[in-house]
Order: sequence, then C-alpha cells, then structure tokens
Amino acid sequence: MAARVVTVDRKAVEQLTGVLGIPATLRGLRVTSTHFFRNLWGWIVGRPQVRTVMVPEEHDPKPAAFRGMPVLVAMDNGKERCVACGLCEWACPVDCIHIVPAETDDEVERYPLVFDIDMGRCMYCGLCEEACPEEAIVMSAKVEISAFSRAGLLWHKDQLLTPVKTLERRLEHIRNDYGRR
Amino acid sequence: MTEANGSTAKNPKVRVVIDGREIEATAGAPLLEAALDNGIEIPHYCYHPKLSIDGSCRMCQVQIQGQKKLAIACNTPCTEGLVVDTRSDEVADARRGVMELLLVNHPLDCPICDQAGECYLQDYSFEHGSHHARTTAPRRKGLKRVPIGPRVVFDQERCILCRRCVRFTNEISETNELRVFGIGDTSYIGTLEGRPLDNPYSVNVADVCPVGALLSSDFHHKRRVWFLEETESVCPGCSNGCNIKIGAFREEIQRLVPRRNDAVNETWMCDAGRLGYGFVGAADRIREARVCDDQGQQVVALDAAITAAAAALRRVREEHGAGAIGIVASGHLTNEEYFRLAGLARETLTTVSVDLAVPLGEGDDFLIRADKAANARGAREMGLVPGEAGRDLAGILNAVEAGEIRLLWIIGSKDFEAVVGTERALAIAGRLETLILQDVQPSGLSDKATIQLPGATWAEKAGTFTNYVGRVQRIRPAVHSPEGVLLDGEIFAALTGALSGRAAVPFVPSSVFDEIAAAVGAYAGLAHQSLGGAGTNPADVTEGVG
Repeated sequence: MAARVVTVDRKAVEQLTGVLGIPATLRGLRVTSTHFFRNLWGWIVGRPQVRTVMVPEEHDPKPAAFRGMPVLVAMDNGKERCVACGLCEWACPVDCIHIVPAETDDEVERYPLVFDIDMGRCMYCGLCEEACPEEAIVMSAKVEISAFSRAGLLWHKDQLLTPVKTLERRLEHIRNDYGRR
Repeated sequence: MTEANGSTAKNPKVRVVIDGREIEATAGAPLLEAALDNGIEIPHYCYHPKLSIDGSCRMCQVQIQGQKKLAIACNTPCTEGLVVDTRSDEVADARRGVMELLLVNHPLDCPICDQAGECYLQDYSFEHGSHHARTTAPRRKGLKRVPIGPRVVFDQERCILCRRCVRFTNEISETNELRVFGIGDTSYIGTLEGRPLDNPYSVNVADVCPVGALLSSDFHHKRRVWFLEETESVCPGCSNGCNIKIGAFREEIQRLVPRRNDAVNETWMCDAGRLGYGFVGAADRIREARVCDDQGQQVVALDAAITAAAAALRRVREEHGAGAIGIVASGHLTNEEYFRLAGLARETLTTVSVDLAVPLGEGDDFLIRADKAANARGAREMGLVPGEAGRDLAGILNAVEAGEIRLLWIIGSKDFEAVVGTERALAIAGRLETLILQDVQPSGLSDKATIQLPGATWAEKAGTFTNYVGRVQRIRPAVHSPEGVLLDGEIFAALTGALSGRAAVPFVPSSVFDEIAAAVGAYAGLAHQSLGGAGTNPADVTEGVG
C-alpha cells in the first residue's frame, strides 16, 4: 500500500479535544466529589466508608517481592556488609552504581569508601541484588526519592545504609528466590 | 618431513595425536606446551612456559594410549606416535578430584580478592570442578595480607602451593627469597627472616601466581579487573621496550602488566617499569600552555602558545640566523613524532644544533637497560642527530654559554635537567633569550620558560618505539590526553604549518610511518599494520632470521 500523507489541522483538533475534555473532567470530578462527600458523611457519623492512608507519614506494608529502591544492608554494629566487590556495579544495566573500594584493618579487609547510587537513573530491576554475593544490597520498600536537584538524587553510602532488621522479609524472600539456601 | 619443515637434527619434529587431532611438536618438548601452542586447552596451575617443570598441581593429567595410569602433560615429553586423550571421563574425574582437594582449604573470599576475574581457580572450578563442597570441617586459617616484600602482598590461605613463585625467584630473578616451609598438608610459602621479597623483578610473582595468593601492593583493592580496558603497548621506562598491557578505567591508568614477547621480555617486566606510570595522571602534570610577558608567566590557550613559539623561532632565525636555535629532545617521543620534529628542524628551521638528552641510570644483564628512554634509538634513526657541522648536546650547552645560541627548545626538560644537572641547566636558562619547553612533568626549568607547551604521554599516543636492538614496536593510546593538550606530533605539525606559512598537515601516525618506511632505509617495507603485536626487527627481516 502506498504511503499517504494526511494533513492534520492541529488547532481544530485541540479545540475539539478541549470541548470533549469538559465532560471527561466533570465525570472525574463527580467520582472524586462523591468519595469526598461520602467520606465526610462517614467521618461525621463516625463510620468511615473509605480507608485512608496518610502518605507520606504512613505507608501500606508492601509485599516481600516488591522492588523499591536499592539500599545497603547495615549490620547491627552500623557498618555495611558490602565488601566493594563491584559485582553490582558490573551487573547494573544503567550504570547507576559507583564504588570506590578501600582497605581496612577489620577482619574483612575491604570496604566501600564511596558507594553512590544515582536514583535518577536506577530502574529498580534488582540485578544488583541478585549479583550480590554478600546480601549487602537489597531492594527495599522505599519509593520516595524526590529531591530538589539532580545532585539530590545521588544517594551516598550514609543515606543508603538501612538497618538489617527492617529488611529481614526481603532478605528471606531473595534467599528463596535465588535458591541461596 | 623434517627437512620440509626446516628443522634440524637438534630438535626433530614428531607427530602427536591429541583428541584425534594430529599436531606436530618438537621432540622432547612438554606435551602440555605442544597442546597449548596448538590451541588445545589443558588446565594447569604449576606449569609456566618460562619456568622449569614442577609437576606439583596434578591438574594437567591426561590419558595416554598404552599407559594404565593418567600422566601429567607438563612432564610428558613429546615422542613420535603419542596418542593422547584429554577429554575422557577418567580425565574429567581426575580434574574434578584435583579441584576438590585444592579448594578444601581455599577461603573462597573472591569478593575481596584482586585476582577474581582472572583467577585460574575460578575458571577451572567452573569448567572442571564440582559445584558443591563435600567437606564440613572448618577451613584452615592462614595469614592474610602479609607484606612479603615492599611491593607484594601475600595471602597464605589462597595459596595452592604450585611453587611458580619459588621457581621464579630461583630461576629468573635468581634471588631465592621465596621457598616452601613445612611438609605435606601444612607446608606454606614464605621468606627467611630479614630477607623480604625485594628484587627489581619482584612483582612478577603476582603475575605468575595463578590464584590470588601473591598480589601487587600497588594494585591491591584498587579496581576489579573486569572493569579494566586493556591496551597493548610498550613500557616507556628504558630502551629495552618490554611489551605491556595498560589497564585503564575511566581515563585513569590502574596498572601495567607484562605481555608475552619471547623476542624481548618473555613474560616479565621490572618493578620500576611496572610502577612507573604515575606521571600520566599526576596532580602536578603540566596541562596548561604558558607564555611569559612583562608580568611573568601567563596561562594561555595552546594555539596562542604555539603561535608565540612560531613567532619566537622566526624572529630569532631572522635576527641571528638558524645557528642561534638549538633543539634538545627527550627520548620518549614516538618515531613518527621524531620524524616530524627532524623534518621541522632540518627543512623549516634549517638548524643543525639538534640532539637528545638521555638520562642514564642503573642497568642489569636481564631486562633493565641503563639508558632511561624508550625510543632514543628511534630518534636517531629518524634523523634527530646533529647535522653536518652541527652541535651535539655538549656543543649546544657550550654555545648557549658563549651566547651563540639564543633560543633553546627543550622537549622533556626533566630529562634535560637530569642529564645536564640542575645548577648548569638553570645557568643555561638564564643565558637564553627565549626558552621553549614542551613538557609533561614539571622540572626546575619550568619557572624559567618563556613559552611552555603541554606535552602528551606515551599512554595517550599511537605510534612506534624502536628499542635498543632496533625492534620496531607499536604503542597504542590507552587514555585520552587532558583537555586542551595536543599530542607532541600535533604540536610539531602546527608549528611546521605556522613557520612555513602553509596549511598544517594533520598528524596521522600511520601515514607518517609510511613516509618513514619510504625515507629511512632500515624501515623500508614496514607499515603499522604489518608490525603485529610483537613488533618487528628490520634487521631480522632483511637477514631472513625472524
């Protein structure tokens, strides 16, 4: 079939969708205001009809399989499990992880001096978690990354460290998932 | 058959069948070597092509027709009619058994081991090992990260006692620092008290170590090897021209390792060369062009500095004649750059006061040469020699002191300072009307420069070096030059253009080399493409030896 060129009068289309958009907006407003008044009434008589989660102060618990932003597991002594082996850096398909290894006098002689994740790039694929031989980087339930600048999206080691006890469910899940038992 | 292949009675050729493939091998040579040379992979730890046979790892066991037991390929000499099977179930079983025993006490700390990624234990474990441990006993503890020498770190737990390092210190460095202590299961590698592993070739033990037991302190915990981009090049440390690989990560050199070239360095390199790359990314490297005016040195754009240099050269030549210009180069540029520089000096400037400053240091009878310049021979062959009635370095210095030379152009003032001596170099700088420096590293003369041009290092250039016996070898760029820095050859091209009033000819190393092949007799018939990975010695080619 031969190619055909159709000239579209964009102005007319915009006007048309504008006109058509009014009923759609009204429909949407009807839904939200119905909920609003129903809730208001429920609140007045003491029988709430719709459950409300007060985000961001509260969050619904996420299933263990949920992949939020990757974080570093902090052991009970507050230090990272990570030994800066670089496998997550290698596995990362979007190159959002940057590690600078260094040596310490601890029993495990190597640790990450710098561990940065560019959350603006991260696509929550979880390959870093799968590559990690130390269960040191896991996908958390956190999803709120908003910042006022791009630099604010670059999360450093101290921001990424998360106590191990808040990550137990996910760790249990990945042990099953990746057959690490 | 033997005559057809030009072999002599000393090393007759025999035919060996490995896995049904007939290969030709030298009689008496290790079967393992014949297999590896013919692309048949037999796993091995203790065998090294440049060390004596040890037979301690048992990994290279193969089945030989007519023999009841498996034999180790490294200690089996090739004989006529040998029929070998490297893939039978029995061989696979034996390999799995050897791997299991080697891994019984291995700490499995691959995530923190620098060898991970280029480790024979990892590779063979995947290929030939079983993927599960059957032992439940705790692994034997050993000493970790022992500084066994000033440049080498030792990890006793990872060692598999292949004794390559011991043989290296016995046979190659001939310093005998390393030996095996203890017996049987409890033996370990160590040094005698008060005799650390400290010889000019010590880091080679980290290369020969098939696992992560011996590691270079310099590279320790620096960068995972799988992030390195490796570039084949030549060491710039001295005129021996050892073949190396430059490992770089994000425009930064992480390490140099030797590359096998039996005609030059076999598989070794010296510690000084291996650790001598620091100047490439040094904080005090010269990255800016400067031109001196009434208020002192001012940072300017490179093309402005080149224009100023061309103006100074032209002015001195017009006012005092070509005899008032002297050029002293270091021995670290490529042949292509020297060819352009020699052309510039001879044809455009018509000065005959051209020479090299090559610092001398310690040398030995193995790899380290006393003249610390990678390409001094190439420079001379490219025509960087005092012309007829011209002045050599001593003559240039005297002429400056006598006031005859008004403009001195020094390429690599650090070498110049080392050869001439700081005091005299400064006195000479004081006598000059114009001092042009083209430098990578700062020197005592840097403050005295009228015009300073930033140069590039060998790791940033494509081109060729000619080592002290005349072997022409290629270098390749591993990193980019800092922003605003041109390669030295590009500076020569720009200067030639500015001085001759013609458009500058772009500096393309491979085409310059074609010009060299046409102009310099010894290089006739060579081309960048034909040099190959190991380089070519034109003398060998013409004599039909190589």
